[in-house]
Amino acid sequence: MDFYTWIITNKELFKIFYALIILIICIVIVLKTNRLFKLSLHPGIRYFRNAFFFYGIGFLIRYFIGTPFVYENILPNSHAFINLAFEFFLVMGGFFLLYSLLWKRFETDVPSFSSLFNSRILILYAITIIAVILDSLWKMNYIMFVSQIIIFIFASVISYSNLIKSKNKHMFLKYYFTAMSLSLIAWILNALAALYFEWNNIILVNIYVLNMIVFLLFLYGVIKVTKT
Amino acid sequence: MARKRERLDVIKDILKSIRVNRQIKPTRLLYASNLSPQMFKEYINELISKGFIKIDIDKKEKKTFSLTIKGNEFLEEYKVIENFIENFGL
Repeated sequence: MDFYTWIITNKELFKIFYALIILIICIVIVLKTNRLFKLSLHPGIRYFRNAFFFYGIGFLIRYFIGTPFVYENILPNSHAFINLAFEFFLVMGGFFLLYSLLWKRFETDVPSFSSLFNSRILILYAITIIAVILDSLWKMNYIMFVSQIIIFIFASVISYSNLIKSKNKHMFLKYYFTAMSLSLIAWILNALAALYFEWNNIILVNIYVLNMIVFLLFLYGVIKVTKT
Repeated sequence: MARKRERLDVIKDILKSIRVNRQIKPTRLLYASNLSPQMFKEYINELISKGFIKIDIDKKEKKTFSLTIKGNEFLEEYKVIENFIENFGL
C-alpha cells in the first residue's frame, strides 16, 4: 500500500491528526506572541497573534465541532453554518497575517485600543462577510479561493522584499518567504481541486501536507526566535 | 540619514537610562532620552501607567524615577521582541 492509498484509506483519522497538529501550533504561537505583545504593545505582533488565533478557531470549528458525530447527534443541519464559520475565520486569518506585514503603512506604532474592532479591521470583516455570503449563495468557494490567492501573492511579494532588504541578517525571513510561497501553492491547488478535479483525494493530501509544513515553519520560527 | 527612532526603541532607551542610574531625576532623564518635553511627558506617563517605572521621592524631597520588576523584565525581553519583529518583518 503506497503513502496516498494509506492516507486516503484512513482519511478521517488523518484529518483529525492534521487539524490537531495545526490547532496545537496555533495555540503555542498565540500564547508565545501574546506574551511578547503584552510586554511591547507592538501592533505588528498583535496582528500576527490574531492571525493564528483566527486560524485556530477556524480549524477547531471545522474539524472538531464539524464532525459527523456532531451533525448527527448534537447540531443537526449545522453543516452549512460550520462551513461558513470556517471560511470566515480562515479568510480573516489570512487578512490578519497580511495586515501584520502592512500595518505600518496605515497606522502609527501607538497601538489602537482594540486590534479586533478598529475601523481598518472592520473593513476587512465587511469584505470577509460579503465573501462568505456570496460563496454560500453560489454554493462554491470561488471568492475564498480568489481572496486567499490574492492575499498570499501580496504576502509572498512583501516577504521576499523584506528578505532582500534584510540582506540575510534575519534567518527566519527566508522561511517566512518559503511559508508564504507554499501557502500560495496550497491555495492554488485548493482552487484547482475544487474547480477542475472534483476534490481529488491525492491533491487534497498534498494540500494538507503543504499546510502542515507552513504551520510547522511558523512554529519553528516562533520557538527559535523567542527562545531565551 | 538616521532612521527615525521607533516607539519601542524610545521606551528601551528611557528604561536603559533609568537602569544605568538606578534612580534618575526627571531633567536628567529628559536630556538622556533626547525627546521634546511634550513627548517625554507622554512616554513617562505611559511607562508609569504600564508599571514599567515608578516615581520615588528622595531624601531632599525631589522626584526621581526607578525601574520596576516589570520594567526590568521588558529590558531583558527587549532583544527577543526586537528579534521577533525583524525576523517576521512586522
